[in-house]
Amino acid sequence: MVDVSQHELVPEHTVLEEEALEEVLEEYDIDRTDLPKIKRTDAALPDDAELGDVIKIVRDSRTTDQSVVYRYVVE
Amino acid sequence: MTNVDYAVDDDTIAVVEDTDLPRRLKDEVYETLEAREGATVEEANELAAAVETRYLNTRVDPLDPVGTVSAQSIGEPGTQLTMNTFHYAGVAEIDVTQGLPRLIELVDARKTPDTPMMTVYLEGEYATEREKAHEVVWNIEATQILALGDVSTNVADMRVQIALNEDTLEERMISAEEVAEIIEDSLGVKTIQQGSQIEFGPEEPSYRDLLQLVEELRDITFKGIEEVSRVVIRREELDNGNEEFVLYTEGSAFGDVLDIEGVDASRTTCNNIHEIHRNLGIEAAREAIIEETNNTLAEQGLDDVNVRHLMLVADMMSNRGEIESIGRHGISGSKESVLARAAFEVTVNHLLNAAIHGEVDDLDGVTENVIVGKPIKLGTGDVDLRMGSTSSGSSQAD
Repeated sequence: MVDVSQHELVPEHTVLEEEALEEVLEEYDIDRTDLPKIKRTDAALPDDAELGDVIKIVRDSRTTDQSVVYRYVVE
Repeated sequence: MTNVDYAVDDDTIAVVEDTDLPRRLKDEVYETLEAREGATVEEANELAAAVETRYLNTRVDPLDPVGTVSAQSIGEPGTQLTMNTFHYAGVAEIDVTQGLPRLIELVDARKTPDTPMMTVYLEGEYATEREKAHEVVWNIEATQILALGDVSTNVADMRVQIALNEDTLEERMISAEEVAEIIEDSLGVKTIQQGSQIEFGPEEPSYRDLLQLVEELRDITFKGIEEVSRVVIRREELDNGNEEFVLYTEGSAFGDVLDIEGVDASRTTCNNIHEIHRNLGIEAAREAIIEETNNTLAEQGLDDVNVRHLMLVADMMSNRGEIESIGRHGISGSKESVLARAAFEVTVNHLLNAAIHGEVDDLDGVTENVIVGKPIKLGTGDVDLRMGSTSSGSSQAD
């Protein structure tokens, strides 16, 4: 199987630490289930990601240098 | 300190880096300063401040109806798109759907596009040597029996006879034995193979079975990927002046192609968003939607549509971790409010179903409130003003 993360369309995915997550949720004043979702079966999901985790994605943005988004892992 | 590739002094860099501007705009500021040689730090500061003010002022205001603005900004140029289904255009004489039909296909998130295609990049010597590139082509392009030799039916003896062309076999790297084996496996018949001749027939002599066999034989894919009917090789110039071979395919099987030796799995793409989603995940699919919609518009000279509108569309379509279409089967159809859904399409069905299930509408959204004639929760409609409730204490409002 090919390494999906090497593809230029795939931005960097990392599992967000619990503490960092708290900060993010506080900043936006939202619940983690309000975040955009990512499927547990997603090809680009890191191996150590589990259901209920939040994934931090760093995109090369078209409008700024880099943009950081978060996705909540769902079934 | 950030690395800056422009000929400006350190103080200027400090001034510009200190602003809240995105990289792209900072670079433009540097470029301007560089062009005006000898700009003082004060001037640089003034320029950077002016750009920053302008940038902050053009950002979206809170409670701005960005969705509506996007819809209009894509919709208006959309009226100028070709309504012709497609014609030969783009690269390497491959037929690609363009204009409005393509845009509709994208936002509808169709399972397969009208004209699926892939752009296959090659790696290493596969990209530089034509012979090697051709090897990859034969592993991708579906090879049917008619490309390998002549098929004839001998009605008297109830036999199908194939005379394979040895040059073609060698070129496409498949042997007569392999061909015979594939025929046995897929048709369930015994074959007799001698050199480049292959012969077989139905078990019981039957004219119908014989024709049936020939029919099925034509559909067998001997080599390559069944979905890919044609591959075009093109030599393209790279940024650094070198040239590489790039393959364009009619038909797509993205997952299969990525596994083929010689294929550069980091750049190869296809125009089927669902295939990208399946193989590379939701983020790549989002990226592909932006790229494809943007290219479709740009192809028709409408590239002045701001990419932010397309990004918003792609964000909405990928929000739930899978590709959803805009419209009644996707995003609009999954709205909470009955009235909002009914206002979109198939009004009666939605109202009827809502009545049967006893649904309640809380009138939280925009559409519902337009229907019942209340102020919508957007712009000034979402701001409440209260008089004197928290004045600083000394002068109580009455």
